[in-house]
Amino acid sequence: MSRPKSPTRLACFTFPHLALVLALRAHPELKGEPVLVGGQGPGGQQVVVAASPAAWAKGVRPSQEWRRAQVICPMAVRLDVDPTAMAELRQLARLALASCSPLVEWGDDASAYVDLAGSDPLRPEEGSRAAHCGRALQEVLGATPSVGVGPSRFSAWVAAQMAVPGRVRLVPEGKAAEFLATWPVTALPLPPEVGDRLIQFGLRTCGDCAAITLVDLQRQFGPDGILLHRLCRGLDSARIDPWREPPPCGVRRVLAGGVEDSESLRFGAAELARGLAEELSRQGRAAGRIRLVLRGEGGPRLPSPADQQVWWGEVAPPAPLATADELLGPLLSLFGRSRPLTPVTVVELQAFDLVAPPVSQVGLWQGRAADREVVQRAVDRLHDRFGKGLVWRVEVRPGHPGDVPEERFVWSSR
Amino acid sequence: MDSLDNITGCRGLPKGRISRLAEGSSPGAFELGLALAAVVSRSAAVAIVDFTLSLDPGNVEAYGGELDNCWLVRPRRPEEGWAAARALAKVGVALCLLVAQDWSRLTPSAAPAALLTALSEGGCAGLVLGGRLIPAALKERICLELKCWRLNWALAHGDVCGLRLEAQVSRSHLGAPGASCRLQLNFPRPYQLWVGLGELEELTEGEELGVELLRVSGGSGR
Repeated sequence: MSRPKSPTRLACFTFPHLALVLALRAHPELKGEPVLVGGQGPGGQQVVVAASPAAWAKGVRPSQEWRRAQVICPMAVRLDVDPTAMAELRQLARLALASCSPLVEWGDDASAYVDLAGSDPLRPEEGSRAAHCGRALQEVLGATPSVGVGPSRFSAWVAAQMAVPGRVRLVPEGKAAEFLATWPVTALPLPPEVGDRLIQFGLRTCGDCAAITLVDLQRQFGPDGILLHRLCRGLDSARIDPWREPPPCGVRRVLAGGVEDSESLRFGAAELARGLAEELSRQGRAAGRIRLVLRGEGGPRLPSPADQQVWWGEVAPPAPLATADELLGPLLSLFGRSRPLTPVTVVELQAFDLVAPPVSQVGLWQGRAADREVVQRAVDRLHDRFGKGLVWRVEVRPGHPGDVPEERFVWSSR
Repeated sequence: MDSLDNITGCRGLPKGRISRLAEGSSPGAFELGLALAAVVSRSAAVAIVDFTLSLDPGNVEAYGGELDNCWLVRPRRPEEGWAAARALAKVGVALCLLVAQDWSRLTPSAAPAALLTALSEGGCAGLVLGGRLIPAALKERICLELKCWRLNWALAHGDVCGLRLEAQVSRSHLGAPGASCRLQLNFPRPYQLWVGLGELEELTEGEELGVELLRVSGGSGR
C-alpha cells in the first residue's frame, strides 16, 4: 500500500536577468540608469536580452529588436551579453538552489522553480525552506529575489510577482482561487487576443473568469478556455522539469610556466589520459565524448576565468572510451588540432556522455570478466550433476504480471 | 562505492579471498551486499548463491544491476550451493555472493577451504552475507569483515529515495581494522543524483546560513 502523497508546494523565485546582473556587476555606476543588454536572437539578429527597470519603464522588453528598443529608449546604455560568464553564473545559481532541494527547474535566466514538498528536518516550515533557498540564491547573484510559494506554477509565479523583493509570499493550501481573484486577465500567460476578448466581455480579473463554467469558456476560446479555467482557479500544472547536474568527470593539470607549442603539450598527453581513465574507472563509466580545453593567460593575470584565452576541441569516437590506451589516440588528435592563442598554463580533459563500459568495468575487474560461454558450460555441468533448477538466469517479464519474483521474472536454467 | 574501496585496504574487495558483510546494531549489510553485486554485474559476471531461497533478483536490478550478468543459484541442499559456488568461482565470475540466514547449519566443515581454493584459482572475490553467528571453519577463512549499519533513510519529495549506511572494517588481513566510511545507496529514481548531493549538503551544514535576509510574510495570500 502506498503512502498518501503530500500536497505539492512550489516556490517561484524571480530575480533580475542574469545578463543584467553581470552587466551591473561590471559597471556599478549604471545602477538606476536605463541599461539594455543585447545579444543574438534565434535568427541571428540583434535583440534585447535584458533591460534594467528604468528601460523597462520606458517600454523596452526582452526579445525586442535592437533597433526598436533604441527608438523607444534612445538614452539607454547598450552592453553586450557575455555568454561564458552567464553560463558560469547560471551554474552557480542552479547549484545554490539544488543544495536546498533536489528538484529545481531553471527558467528563463530570470526565474526558477523549486519543489518544496520534500521533508527537511532542519526547516519543517515551507516558508523557512523557501527563505533558505532565497538566501542561497541571493549570495550567488548579489541581488535579492522575490519568492512566491503556491500549490501550482501559476499561483507561485503570481505570488512572486506580488511579493516584495526579499520576502516570501505564501499562497495557503486550498486558497489559490481566492488569492488569484484580483489578478488581471491581461497578465495571464495566454495569447493577447484572448485577453482582449475577455475585456470586451467585461471579465477583467481571474475572479470574474473563475465564476464562468468550463463549458462556456471552452465554447468561446477553445483549448485556451480550458487553460484559462485552470489558471484562474489555481488548478494548472504543479509539475516541474528538474535540472540535474551531469556527474563531473575530468582532469585538470596546471603547467609550470606557459607552454607555447602543441608538440610540447603532447608529451603530457599519456599522463592526462591515465588520469581521466582512473577517474572513469572510479565511476565505472566510459566516455562517449571527450573535450580538451587549453587555457592561457594573455599578459597580466586577469581576475575572471572568462577573460582567459581558451582553446577547446571535442571528439566523439565511434565507441565509448574507458582505458588510457583508448583515450590516448583521440587525445593526441585533439592536441594535433589545437591552436592555442597564448602560452598554455592549464590543460583540462573532460569526459561527457558517460555510459556503462562496453565490455568490462574499467580497471577493477580488468581481465577477470568471465566469458559467458565458459560460465554457461560450468552451469551445464552443474545441471548434469545436480539436476535442472539449481542455477537460474532471470529476466524481467513484460507487463505487470504480479508481485512475487516467480511471477515478475522469467526464470530459465540456460 | 569509492569511499568503501578506500577503507578495504586493497581498493575494493580482495580477489581470491572471502569477505563478509556483517550486520551492525541495525540492518544495512544486506542492502550493501546487493548494491555491490549490482555494481559488479554492470560489467562482469556475478554468481549469487541464495541459501535462503527467497532472494528477489529485482533488488539487484533496483540498484542498477544487469540481470543478464547474474547467475542465481537456489540450492535444494547445502552441498549443492557450495559446489555451485566453487564451480562458478573457478570459471572466473567476478563476484560470488553467498547469502544465508544461518551459516552454522549450512556449512560443511570442508566447504569454506574448498571455496577459498576455487576463488584463488578463478581470481574471484567471495562475499558472505547474512547470519549473526558463523561457524569457525568459515570465520577463519574470512579475509575482510565489514560491519554495516543503517544510519537513516534519504528522503525526497516525501518518498524514501535512498539509504544511508555506515561501514567499518572490523577484521582485516589486509591492514589495520577500524577504518569506516559513510555511504548512500540511491534507489534508481530520476532525481537520485540530486537527492544525494542535497542531503549530504544538509548533513554538513547543520545550521542556518548567514543573516536572515528573507522573512516570511503572513499566510493570508492577499
